[in-house]
Amino acid sequence: MTQETEIPLPDINPLRKQVKAKIKKLELHSSTGLWILALFTALSMGAFRNFDFLPPLSEGIRAALGAGPPVKYINWALVVYGFSAIILILTQMASDNKPRGALAHFGYLGAFYLFYHFSEGLSENFWAIFVVGLTILGLQSYHVWNYYHEKIQEQTEILQELDKLLD
Amino acid sequence: MFDNLIARAIVPVTIAVTGFVIFGCILLYSFVKSDMTAESLQYLNNCADTVIKSTSYAMMEDDRHSIQNIVTNIGTRSNVEFIRIYDQDGTVQFAGQDEPEGQSKTVDAHIDEFLQTNIFTKETALRDIDHANGHITVSLPILNESSCMTSACHFHPEDEQALGFFTIAVSSESLDETLSVLRYRMMIFCVMVLFMTIGGVTALLRMNLFLPIIRLTYNAEQAAQGVAEGDLPKSDHKLGKLNKDFRLLVKQRDQALRDIEALRTPDRNVDDGSR
Repeated sequence: MTQETEIPLPDINPLRKQVKAKIKKLELHSSTGLWILALFTALSMGAFRNFDFLPPLSEGIRAALGAGPPVKYINWALVVYGFSAIILILTQMASDNKPRGALAHFGYLGAFYLFYHFSEGLSENFWAIFVVGLTILGLQSYHVWNYYHEKIQEQTEILQELDKLLD
Repeated sequence: MFDNLIARAIVPVTIAVTGFVIFGCILLYSFVKSDMTAESLQYLNNCADTVIKSTSYAMMEDDRHSIQNIVTNIGTRSNVEFIRIYDQDGTVQFAGQDEPEGQSKTVDAHIDEFLQTNIFTKETALRDIDHANGHITVSLPILNESSCMTSACHFHPEDEQALGFFTIAVSSESLDETLSVLRYRMMIFCVMVLFMTIGGVTALLRMNLFLPIIRLTYNAEQAAQGVAEGDLPKSDHKLGKLNKDFRLLVKQRDQALRDIEALRTPDRNVDDGSR
């Protein structure tokens, strides 16, 4: 007569902790888009004041930088950038890829503010950059939130399964 | 709120279209504004040139009374805010009317810049537009032409490029009004495009995607509760193979249930017969 011995289940608490830590990490990641959007809004507030809180550049640095590009060229660059960035983010969303490049977009938009500032066209074109920036970073943060929200849901389901096993 | 299929499909489209349309309109307005401003400045430049030409004979004849009359008459026009003729040293020789406070700095800056310039051509001109205070100002040098040098009555040597400077400032009210109308029209256009795009996309998505999915979800719910394939509500063909396959699965389930039932029935009959 053979006696069947029940194999005890491995301890799943470390695994639960891992999943919980992963959920927390994903929750942090899901809010990065909003942080960058807030950062851009702060930068825009500075740009709205034409960066008057910053010390003016010395003549030497100004001379080294040279004259700013004509405003109409920057306008066209902004149109091309805005269109490409929106298409890229929509493509990323459509193919459900990991969201990347929010910080790079913040950098590009900051560079546009600086170019307009040095070409003395910032006051006229402030709203154009602000709106295109809000659109790009808004789309990006929506994609970030959506992507990580799905990942959080996956992990939550795993956690629920583990909880069932514990019971 | 944003965690369903409809929101996921519409929110990105709404953000992208809204943002890009507003951005496009702002940029277009900026282009149109700069073109119209340049056109207004060029027009005023031509007017200033015409005034210089019309006073040239009186200048050559040194007829100060006629020059003052011309300048005063032009100054009586309602939109002309400032008109002056300066000599080579930047001293006012003829004035159309009292100088308003607003333009004083702009005009002084123009004259100072001219006084520091050595080379004057037909294209030399200083133009300024002040949208905040509503002024357009143009300053031109009065050039030393061949007729001035060769004229017997005249005393300007050949090497003097500018004989004086002319400044005129007009109200930019009409330009600002046109820009304001353009701004409102663009806003209305923007809102119309947004409503049409978002409304159109939403309607198309709802008609071709969301409603068929909602119907399929309802059918799946009914099938899960045991409703037979034949009793399920008829569905459209917008989801194509997915819908057909779903109904096939339910049909197969119904068939399997019937087969099980049929298998059980003879057993029951045999059991009943043996008793």
